[in-house]
Amino acid sequence: MDENWRGNLPQIAARKTGKSRYSFVPLFMNELNIQNLRVEIADREIVRGLSLTVPCGEVHAIMGPNGSGKSTLAKVLAGHPDYHVTGGAVTMDGENVLELEPDERARHGLFLAFQYPSEVPGVTIANFLRAAVQARMPEGEELEATDYYAKLYEKMELLGMDRSFTSRSVNEGFSGGEKKRTEILQLAMLEPKYAVLDETDSGLDIDALKTVAHGVNSLRGPNLGILLITHYQRLLNYIVPDHVHVMVAGRIVRSGRKELALELEERGYDWTREEAGEMAVR
Amino acid sequence: MKPAILDQLMTEAQAILSGPSRRSDFPKWFRDQQHGAWSKFQTMPMPNRKDQPWRFSNVDLLDLSQFKLGAPITDNDRIEILERSRALEQVAGRLVFADDQLLQRDVLSEDLQRKGVVFQPLERAMVEHTDLFRKYFMSEPATLGSAKFAALHHSWVSSGTFVFVPRGVEIEFPIEIFHWLSGENSAVFPHLLLVADELAKVTVIEHFRSQDRQLPGFACGVNDLISGPGAKITYVCAQNWGENVIALQINSTKADHDAAAKSLNLHLGGKYSRFESLSRLIGEGARSDLLAVSVSDGNQEFDARTLQDHVSPHTASDLLYKNALKGRSRNTFGGLIRVEPHAHFTDAYQKVRNLLLDDDAEANSMPGLEILADNVKCSHGATSGQIDADEMFYLRSRGITPAIAQQLIVKGFLNEVIERLEQPAIADYLRGLIDEKFSRAK
Amino acid sequence: MKTETSAVDINRNIGDFSYDVTHAYDAGTGLSEKTIHYISDVKQDPDWVREFRLKALKTFLEKPMPTHWASKDLEAIDFDKIRYYLSGGTQAKRTWEEVPEDVKRTFERLGIPEQERKFLAGVEAQFDSEAVYSNIKKAVGEQGVIFVGSAEGLKEHPEIFRKWFGKVIPTGDNKFSALNSAVFSGGSFIYVPPGVKVKHPLQAYFRINAENFGQFERTLIIVDEGAELTYMEGCTAPKFNTATLHSAVVELVAMKDAKIQYITVQNWSANVFNLVTKRGLAHENAEVKWIDCNIGSRLTMKYPGVIMKGRKARGEVLSIALANDGQHQDTGAKMVHAADETTSNIISKSISIGTGRATYRGLVHVPKHLKNCKNNTECDALLINSTSRTDTYPAITVRGTGNAVQHEASVSQVSAEQIFYMQQRGLSKAQAMSLSVNGFVNDLVRQFPMEYSVELKRLIELEMEGSVG
Repeated sequence: MDENWRGNLPQIAARKTGKSRYSFVPLFMNELNIQNLRVEIADREIVRGLSLTVPCGEVHAIMGPNGSGKSTLAKVLAGHPDYHVTGGAVTMDGENVLELEPDERARHGLFLAFQYPSEVPGVTIANFLRAAVQARMPEGEELEATDYYAKLYEKMELLGMDRSFTSRSVNEGFSGGEKKRTEILQLAMLEPKYAVLDETDSGLDIDALKTVAHGVNSLRGPNLGILLITHYQRLLNYIVPDHVHVMVAGRIVRSGRKELALELEERGYDWTREEAGEMAVR
Repeated sequence: MKPAILDQLMTEAQAILSGPSRRSDFPKWFRDQQHGAWSKFQTMPMPNRKDQPWRFSNVDLLDLSQFKLGAPITDNDRIEILERSRALEQVAGRLVFADDQLLQRDVLSEDLQRKGVVFQPLERAMVEHTDLFRKYFMSEPATLGSAKFAALHHSWVSSGTFVFVPRGVEIEFPIEIFHWLSGENSAVFPHLLLVADELAKVTVIEHFRSQDRQLPGFACGVNDLISGPGAKITYVCAQNWGENVIALQINSTKADHDAAAKSLNLHLGGKYSRFESLSRLIGEGARSDLLAVSVSDGNQEFDARTLQDHVSPHTASDLLYKNALKGRSRNTFGGLIRVEPHAHFTDAYQKVRNLLLDDDAEANSMPGLEILADNVKCSHGATSGQIDADEMFYLRSRGITPAIAQQLIVKGFLNEVIERLEQPAIADYLRGLIDEKFSRAK
Repeated sequence: MKTETSAVDINRNIGDFSYDVTHAYDAGTGLSEKTIHYISDVKQDPDWVREFRLKALKTFLEKPMPTHWASKDLEAIDFDKIRYYLSGGTQAKRTWEEVPEDVKRTFERLGIPEQERKFLAGVEAQFDSEAVYSNIKKAVGEQGVIFVGSAEGLKEHPEIFRKWFGKVIPTGDNKFSALNSAVFSGGSFIYVPPGVKVKHPLQAYFRINAENFGQFERTLIIVDEGAELTYMEGCTAPKFNTATLHSAVVELVAMKDAKIQYITVQNWSANVFNLVTKRGLAHENAEVKWIDCNIGSRLTMKYPGVIMKGRKARGEVLSIALANDGQHQDTGAKMVHAADETTSNIISKSISIGTGRATYRGLVHVPKHLKNCKNNTECDALLINSTSRTDTYPAITVRGTGNAVQHEASVSQVSAEQIFYMQQRGLSKAQAMSLSVNGFVNDLVRQFPMEYSVELKRLIELEMEGSVG
């Protein structure tokens, strides 16, 4: 980009479209905005013109069948290098996200709870999170160890985690539930503006699910926008969304209130596929 | 049954250090090669223990002065050898050599012949399949220490087998080759040139035996095993030479795109038996499995050197060697996984396990890695230990004698490797040979 | 007390980082019997030492370069151009301002105090290490511990010195131990009397700084029955202005029930050939432990060893090597089991960055008729770039039943997914990389003394900085 639209600039932002034409759109300062996003991996288009807005303070859920591109969307938002954005735009509080490096996106307030979190052998959770918190502080400022640990222990308590957990290597040898809980712990510690939770419910038994949901719910508030990505309606019993979107074949095919989730649970995804088909015909 | 092909020159025993072979029935170009190889043999130094490829080897045993070409096989010997040349029930073809003289050739089925499968002695292949022969015969230099002996082999080779399996042809039963040492101080130079074309599938098993288990002898074999794109070759060596035989075997395997090459070497016989195995993975998707089992006793010395050479990316190799050592026997393993630059996404494994059964047995392991690419998964492991005392106790508490208990445990230990062959008939046969060795020891 | 000491040979090829020093004693370039006599004269060696040197010179000249198994890079050493003995130099007049910026930055990042920085940069020959050294000497001296330079050791304590000198590592062990035996100067001599447990680690750093950096140091440490000692050599700060060849010999003797821990952090500048022979002799129930970190140098060849001579003796080598662009860390361990119930443990971790090459060579030897000997070897290599290289060449000999030896090695890399995951948490690529590398060595570093592990971590961070694009 030739210009850097940042901070408290006027309430408009320039957006470069695929045709290299500048149009001026109103800038909503407090939302995660996805416009007509197209994504490819290895020359196969996975996300095909997806648009979605998650205002700060709201919880949105994306539901969809396997292979609909949900997880791809999560990774693309976080800037995974394997995916190629071929069109569209993503802004966070008006700022172009797509031109940022993955770590810059994170420091600007985007958090992804991974479906399959990586192991980081030999690096303890305490040290890892400390490095991550430190990375968010202005240069020259040192993180106060006592403050850090006080906060860490508080958040761990919230998630029912034992303190000894902090000296284990990140995700190494963790059970599925421990991994997901660790993701939420990081969410709590890093205080992002927008959090994308990718299949956070997968592989969890009901007790673990409740704990994780409790953690997420306690973080809900006016300063956090949450995008829940899930295959099953079950999670939404515990984290009740403000809006539900149905994603099929790389697009949002339907949006509605939380009741839509129940409808999906009852009727399955087949009918949404039909609708998607119809849309394609039209 | 055809009579042995006897060379007129062989009526008089010829010492192998007086080489090269003076056979006149080979094409001139091959005889020229033999002369070239002979001068190479003469100029190269004898191996020295200080040379890395010969570290721990008892190189003093490599005195070849007493060895000579075998005399013509007598009729009585011929009958006896052929009677004893039985191993597998069902085979696709069989060749029997004794002292490098062809005694018998059981040809392939008409069906396989019609499909273009070639199975013939080497000297015929030189004439009838000159191009293939020249392309693959000893095309890979012997880099694991025995270049000198490869040259010796080249200058003396007179018996051997050429197998060619054309595109897409799968041979169900194994091809079987016997090499016998017969006369005292006889030297043999067995050769197998195996070429499997695209998507072909073949198994070859070689049996190395001595007519008289006490007679000294020398064997110096070279094999070229070529697995074309998508082809699958399995090579089994059942080495069961007599107790006073010095044996060197130099194998080179090449696996092309998506090809698979599997080899299993069973070492039971010989006074000193060295086995070099070079496996080159030259096409993407190639895979090589290197398996070996040995049981040594008395003063036997086994010496294995291997190289898993990953030339292309996305290749895999897996080596598993297990050795059981009794008496004063020695075993040396020197193996290297080499991942060449750019051969990314390589999976390479190497595992050596030595089971020491007596106090004077000695195991030397040198598992090596040279990794020049990244995104690789490589590991190696080497263990040397003895039978677990608890395991032994458990068997004895069931009334089993210590000797039998040891045998059971050793066989179980070795069986993991044999099972990896996934060829039940051959596996049964190999287990039989191991049993036989144990009963011989009693 | 001398106030001006800079017996370091200056490499005149590293451009702006060389300066002139004049020395009172200079054996000149090249190596001959004349050189030996010169050294012996200057050092006022006893006759037996002079003879020892002359014999070693012969061995050195007879032995071929070990290039049939080791790096051909050794051929780049020109023995005729090396100065084998220098001392009594006058200090170069150079100011802190003249020290190159990147060197200053390195010191700063390592958190080395200003005074020390100046010393290490060769600007000041000496700060107060002489004082620190005499304090240490005095404190341990009260317990009967001898802690002196090897030259003083062989003159003042010949009865102990001669008994063990050259016994653990014979002159002809290898070409470079022979070279050291011919021209050695500097290094420490330590004797710890029976039962004395030296509380604080003795640091070569202070003693050597008070004297000279030796190119051909010779260290001999004897810890008597039931005594204990930790010795630290080197420091994480890069050493500049040193000679291109460093070839030390270190011999350790642990008597019955004694314990020795020897810690090295090697960070020579990238022009140095560091060819070192280190071996310990462990008597009954004694323990010798080498902690060895190699960060610097052009080529390091070093395989610390333990000969377990007495029943129940233990040997251990914990080693970390970091090979960056143009470096070859050829390290490993040697474990010789020579008695029943001896146990040894080797853990080696190496990291190859850029065009760096890390090699592990190991020797484990369990000869015949021993019972209940155990060895465990683990070596793990981490490759950072596609141009990096790692090799593993162990040689294991086991005889007889009743012993258990196992060796395991693996090669891995920092996965792209792992880096992405950490980036998603807000860490830059370089931070993520250095965290991963530190994680890789973490379980090993945890076994190091605190101050070393902290410095080592910082050093790894520093080395990782340039490695990601």
